Amino acid sequence: MRTVLLASLRTHTRRYGAALLAVVIGSAFIVVTAALSSSMREGLTAGLGQPYDGADAVVDSPSAADAARLLDAARTDGADAWLIGWTMQQVASGTAGETSVIDTDIGQLPDRPDRRWQELVEGRFPGGPGEAVVDSNTAKVERIGVGDRLRIGTGSDALDVAVVGLVDSPSTYAYASVYLLWPELVRWQDQLFVTSLAWAGPDAGTAIRAVVPDADVVAVDAFVQDLHQQVNNGVDIVQVVVLLFGAIALVVGILVINNTFTILFAQRMRDFALLRCVGATRRQVLRSVRLESLALGVLAAVLGVLAGLGAGHGLVALVRSQWPEARLGTAHVAPAWLAGAAGVAVVVTVVAAWLPTRRAVRVSPLAALRPDDSTRVRTRSGRIRLALGGLAVGVGVLALAAAVATANVGALAVGGTAVFVGVLLFGPVLVPALIRAAGPLTQRLLGPAGRLAAGNAVRNPRRTAATTASLLVGVTLTTAVLAGMASSRAALAADMDEQHPIDLAVTGTGPLPAETLDRLEAIDGVAAAVPVPGAVARIGDLDPLPLLPATVDGDAKVLYGDLPVPGPDQVLVPWDLVGDGLEVGDLVPVTVGDTTRELRVAGGEGWGEAALVRRTTLDRLAPGAPTQAVWLRAAEDADPEDLAGSVEAVAAPVDAGVENGLARRAYVDTQLDVLTGGVVGLLAIAVVIALVGIGNTLGLSVLERGREHALLRALGLTRRQVRRMLAAEAVLLSVVATVLGTVLGVAFAWTAVRALVQPAVHGAGLVLPWGQLALVVTISALAGLLAAVLPSRRAARITPAAGLSLD
Amino acid sequence: MTSLLAASARGLTKSFGRGDTLVHALRGVDLDLPAGRFTAIMGPSGSGKSTLMHCLAGLDQPTTGSVQVAGQALEGMDDDALTRFRRDHVGFVFQAFNLLPMLSAEQNIWLPTELSGLAARDRGRQLQQRFAGIVETLGLTARLGHRPAELSGGQQQRVAIARALLSAPAIVFADEPTGNLDSASSAEVLSLLRQSVRELGQTVVMVTHETEAARYADDVVVLADGQVTERREVAA
Repeated sequence: MRTVLLASLRTHTRRYGAALLAVVIGSAFIVVTAALSSSMREGLTAGLGQPYDGADAVVDSPSAADAARLLDAARTDGADAWLIGWTMQQVASGTAGETSVIDTDIGQLPDRPDRRWQELVEGRFPGGPGEAVVDSNTAKVERIGVGDRLRIGTGSDALDVAVVGLVDSPSTYAYASVYLLWPELVRWQDQLFVTSLAWAGPDAGTAIRAVVPDADVVAVDAFVQDLHQQVNNGVDIVQVVVLLFGAIALVVGILVINNTFTILFAQRMRDFALLRCVGATRRQVLRSVRLESLALGVLAAVLGVLAGLGAGHGLVALVRSQWPEARLGTAHVAPAWLAGAAGVAVVVTVVAAWLPTRRAVRVSPLAALRPDDSTRVRTRSGRIRLALGGLAVGVGVLALAAAVATANVGALAVGGTAVFVGVLLFGPVLVPALIRAAGPLTQRLLGPAGRLAAGNAVRNPRRTAATTASLLVGVTLTTAVLAGMASSRAALAADMDEQHPIDLAVTGTGPLPAETLDRLEAIDGVAAAVPVPGAVARIGDLDPLPLLPATVDGDAKVLYGDLPVPGPDQVLVPWDLVGDGLEVGDLVPVTVGDTTRELRVAGGEGWGEAALVRRTTLDRLAPGAPTQAVWLRAAEDADPEDLAGSVEAVAAPVDAGVENGLARRAYVDTQLDVLTGGVVGLLAIAVVIALVGIGNTLGLSVLERGREHALLRALGLTRRQVRRMLAAEAVLLSVVATVLGTVLGVAFAWTAVRALVQPAVHGAGLVLPWGQLALVVTISALAGLLAAVLPSRRAARITPAAGLSLD
Repeated sequence: MTSLLAASARGLTKSFGRGDTLVHALRGVDLDLPAGRFTAIMGPSGSGKSTLMHCLAGLDQPTTGSVQVAGQALEGMDDDALTRFRRDHVGFVFQAFNLLPMLSAEQNIWLPTELSGLAARDRGRQLQQRFAGIVETLGLTARLGHRPAELSGGQQQRVAIARALLSAPAIVFADEPTGNLDSASSAEVLSLLRQSVRELGQTVVMVTHETEAARYADDVVVLADGQVTERREVAA
């Protein structure tokens, strides 16, 4: 039997090409994932302990106020302390003409030069107030250089600094874009997030507890080790999520390989029968074909691992050189991963080949030598299949109904999977029926070639169903994600309208000059500008704060939702000013000029650095108030960063603060876009494998139908018509799979929205991204065409005379 | 015998392969096939009879020499032109795999006329009449809805003959039409081919290696080693 095995490997390897490709893509994906996560891990953990060098103890997550007290105490104690933490602030750079504004993190530069963990790459460290160092990657991306001036923050807190140096951070964890000395950073103390504070000095624990009795003091080594653990766990989660998509791709791969083996063995049925007739036992034939699949699996494993290593290292190198701000480390794929990926490739191939090999040897020798009558559907196993399919759909629908009723994620997953499996089991009946329904259309478009295509597509229902199943998996998941994301976005939009009712609010620290409104209105990208009257008021013990009315003439032009309306005796104070001596519910005096009213404090946000009162309250406190603020609505297509820069350029000279709701909105939008893009991108791998599968099935069918095509050519089908016929068959298969997948995906999204989003966001409904769905169908039709290119060229190339003598 | 020529070949040669594997299938064949007659091309395996038929039918291009069918020269036609030519002027009956498995008998019979667009223009009138007549003559009326897999070998060949005759082509080529049939079915198929010549005035050229089959023909051409070695009329 070894001669037979080797000979058939030699003869048929080329026909296994596409199946091989499917496994190679799947296992390479696993290796690439391992390479990327190892490089991510390396990047995140490198130098993790460096910021704590020289410290004797670390305070874990102190409040900003405690951290400030500790820093002050250290200075008076003769000890030394520095903090690792950030405040997110708006940073404007560039000249007045072309300002660029980013929201970024500002960290602390330790006072003592020997404690500075940042590595200076250009210029010098700040020597005193008004100076800052910038991270070198941020500097590269934002085109900031030594000597440039930055304006950090807005309004009364804004700080102008000169960039005196560029630094690198050894640790991704502690990294910030801009570093300031503590005396400058302290102004944002109430917006500071502190991860840890390092303390160097004798008897650190006692010294710290003397200042902050309940401080969480940890030994430096233990703290750093803990950080390592946290970072690794984070990377592990990402890795598991990504591998989930690898698993989906491999399941699709199994479908493709299974189909390939089924077709190839059907074509070789006569060979097997002949072998049996000349004396091979059933077991020998079985062993031979199983060894064949094993050989294929091993080859796929080797190729997959090599391709994965190449792609993984290449990708990491590319990202490191092109996007240094991504901060990836070097990739190192552990041997266990390589072994795992290779093992998966072999197992997947052998498992996928198992059933077809069993079917291949079950036929009696003489039956197989008789002429082929391949199209029988109503077999016993077919009926069992349909019954199982019905059962799965029934169970799945019940589980989905339960999921909607109880908002249970587990029931949702079980129900979705069961329904999907049921649909796959119905495939041999369902898919041909759909293709027959679409048949008249292709006939009208392509004439007799179209009708032949529709006939060819359904002549072997099992094969048709198996071919479309692989694409069905990818398309169903993709459309479910697209529709689900669109629905979540719509549900979030209402929330965003409430939290960020104004795109950009320019609030003066005094009355705004008359031309400010005109200049803001003139900015490219401003759709509407509304002047808001107001006056600077003293509220309790707070610093002077502009007081604005909650309603203004024409505010509908700029507001997304209504601003919260304060009661007649209420004042709405920004949340970040509440606390520290002013609490919600307090009755405080509010004074403008020499008029004072007692108002009750409530919190709110979304309109900038100002307090909000009723229109009538403002009129009583400051009759005929001048313009204090301007609220802007951005045009649909405005670039958030450019617009914010232009507005800042107008606002800064008049000492006005800018509240940037647009950037927050854009941020959430970008997050959703990135999430959708990432998921769809990962699913694309499964879709690509599925399309390889369609091309493969078609290619094998072409081999099988060589004589038939020759006959058609003899009877008068031109080359182009042969090509068109095969292209139409591929497009029929892919479009039917896509349409079915889209319907299923949308149904799943609807169920998920009912089960998960509606309980959380009242009134959320299914929103269909029609454009994206249409794009999915179009792309899959085009990909179907692409999959048909090679097979149809091969089919059309053969001359009728040569084809007729084929056996 | 001064009737019109359905096809003629002059100086036909055909070689396959090159170097050591070079095979001369045809070595200078001159042949005239008169219209309205049943000609059998005979010869042992490897004599080049199938290659000759392929060249005459526009299925393959000769290496040198010229072929005329229905007054048209085939040399110089590109693939599309040859395809159209076959569609419009030639009918085929092959030994096996004659029918498309996914089409019914009726759909198989209409296929060439549909490919040429003739069916769409004409189906309601003469062609429909002709179809009914042929199906009746060949005894296929009850089998029209069946798929090839549901037909016997003889029935399949009858469907193929009906398909070849429907468009009234200038010439019908039959390549070993009885090769897969038992003797009763063979006799039936050969009679039908002869009948189509006698009653419909068709020109039929049959390639066969069975002397029994050749007895149904009007003329016999014998081929050996790529050359015509004998040409005779069969006594009626």
